[in-house]
Amino acid sequence: MTLDTAPPGGLRRTLSALGAAQAYIGLVLVLAVGIATKGEMFLNETNLTNAIGAFASRGILAVGVTLVILTGGIDLSVGSLLGIASMTAAMMLSKHSLEPWQIVPICMVVGAFFGFLNGAGTTWLRIQSFVMTLAMLSVVRGLDRQVSDNVSVGTQITGPDGQLTPQAEAFQLFGTPGHNLFGRVYYPVLAFIVVCVVFHLILTKTRFGRHVYAVGGNPTAARLSGVNVTAVTIAVFTLSGLLAGFAGPIDAAYSASADPQAGQSYELDAIAAAVIGGASLAGGKGTIAGTFVGALILTLLDNVLGLNAVSDNWQLVIKGLIVVVAVVLQRPDLFTFFRGGSRS
Amino acid sequence: MKKTIALALCALLAAACASKAPAPATSAESGGEKKTFVVGYSQSNNAEPYRAQLNLQLQHFMKQYQDIELLPIADARQSSATQVSQVQNFITQKVDALIVSPTEPAPLTAAVQQACDAKIPVIILDRTVNTDCYTAFIGGDNVLIGRKAGEEAVKLLPDGGNIVELRGILSNQPQIDRDKGFREAIAANPKIKIIADREAKWLKEQATPIMQQWLAQHPDIDLVYGHNDPMALGAYLAAKAAGKAEQIRFLGIDGLAIPDGGIRAVQLGQLSATFIYPTGAKEAAETVNKILHGQQVEKEQVLGTTQVTKDNAADLYKQFDLSGQN
Repeated sequence: MTLDTAPPGGLRRTLSALGAAQAYIGLVLVLAVGIATKGEMFLNETNLTNAIGAFASRGILAVGVTLVILTGGIDLSVGSLLGIASMTAAMMLSKHSLEPWQIVPICMVVGAFFGFLNGAGTTWLRIQSFVMTLAMLSVVRGLDRQVSDNVSVGTQITGPDGQLTPQAEAFQLFGTPGHNLFGRVYYPVLAFIVVCVVFHLILTKTRFGRHVYAVGGNPTAARLSGVNVTAVTIAVFTLSGLLAGFAGPIDAAYSASADPQAGQSYELDAIAAAVIGGASLAGGKGTIAGTFVGALILTLLDNVLGLNAVSDNWQLVIKGLIVVVAVVLQRPDLFTFFRGGSRS
Repeated sequence: MKKTIALALCALLAAACASKAPAPATSAESGGEKKTFVVGYSQSNNAEPYRAQLNLQLQHFMKQYQDIELLPIADARQSSATQVSQVQNFITQKVDALIVSPTEPAPLTAAVQQACDAKIPVIILDRTVNTDCYTAFIGGDNVLIGRKAGEEAVKLLPDGGNIVELRGILSNQPQIDRDKGFREAIAANPKIKIIADREAKWLKEQATPIMQQWLAQHPDIDLVYGHNDPMALGAYLAAKAAGKAEQIRFLGIDGLAIPDGGIRAVQLGQLSATFIYPTGAKEAAETVNKILHGQQVEKEQVLGTTQVTKDNAADLYKQFDLSGQN
């Protein structure tokens, strides 16, 4: 959408190239600052694993949000969906002693259900996705608080002998710090990477992926060429919910409890990751690889600033500015406007 | 089609009216032989575990007074505007007494004044307002609790040491007071230093990554002071993962009697100590009862704190566990 206007010269071409590669340049910059200021402390494996692990559940949400953004919509409900999924996980564990492999699919179904409702509302009731998912954010948060009675639910359940139950022990592998799969792999990091790879392949290698881009690029053209726009839209919202449901148990394991406020404002980090990664809120433009890099930038930035003891207030300012810079770099046409280029 | 919709709307309206009507009629208005007092409570935010616990306790203690009916607790969800309109609703309903836990002092002042003008006794619970036109204030003393935590830190680190401090939301008064009291107390030993402090917004999942960064930066942390138990426990998770939980002490605040609250954490040896921030629910119920029966009450009731240690944790849990069964 932004690249098909007449090329007014070298500057614009440079900027547009910069726009495409911005996420990678940003990542290199963050890494450079980290290495320059904190060197070994920043670059060691534990620190990087910790940093990415803390962001993994938000990164997974960002993948779902990217799918929705690609179709030209927005999903503001993912934070609440993660919240209710993490609460579901904690309750299944504490009240019903379910095995972790049973808990995750249940959480994914819960997330997918609300995601489906988002899709149904935006297509069949023709509510704008912004409004529909804003409403869902509120509805699901309310349900989350109601089922939990506003009290956080711990996941470190002890048996009569004072030791963790086998289910609780196994559940820790989903992300409690210090618990690794096969003694080496930190599950949240692995899960985030796998989700990115799977959805990258879905978007680039399947017909469904092409349809997602088509719907976002030009819904009318997509419809005329035989794409079932309604089905695609419902599918992306459902997948976004499914991923939020998948991220729920990770979040519950990470803090060893499900808080009734868990996931609040995560949707904003998820959207920021997608936007920094080059996704356009107008739809049709963006990649999972970009979102992955966007999430890495946010999490590593968090880490670098934290290690350098930059105050939270300035961290917020810096993160906001980065989002603005990312969006501006994607819109080289803005620069032609300032150079007096004609726009109709 | 239109008719059906109209009919459905009428039915809905009727249902709405029906469900609202009986509440005041059966209670205060009926007067007559046996008077029931109606009490309204506007809570600033149900979603905080501490406040959820307060709600449970208040419902529990109110039930012990046969002639007092507590209306469903109104949740202002951290919005002062919502809370003002809740208070005004209660005034319109002519409740016999009103309890308010203000979200912020300034915006609620006028609403409390209105209630006072309407001759409704008002009990301010936990946080203050900028008027003295209320019947009683009941609340904890965050400076005192911070000081107690600081004294415990001094005891735990007789030879001095390095402390990291996880703070609540920086603009919250309890955070400011809990920090102030703590710093006053640790000044007793100049060899004790706070080497880092950050805002973790009262949340466990915010505290964990901050602690991970601190562990990387400072090899010599001796004690973590969390402004509430979840943050202290989030730091504990990070330290445990790094294999350093044994050589670091953890102090929290709140001491909730819930399964993953601070009292249990002390019992499990995760926290060295926590300090009960009293909900004031019992005192509020007693005060309401006295006011409604024309008895004198103390206007300012500042509550103390109890230190939770391994020795008294089990008893305190039993004492404050009101999980709905009893």
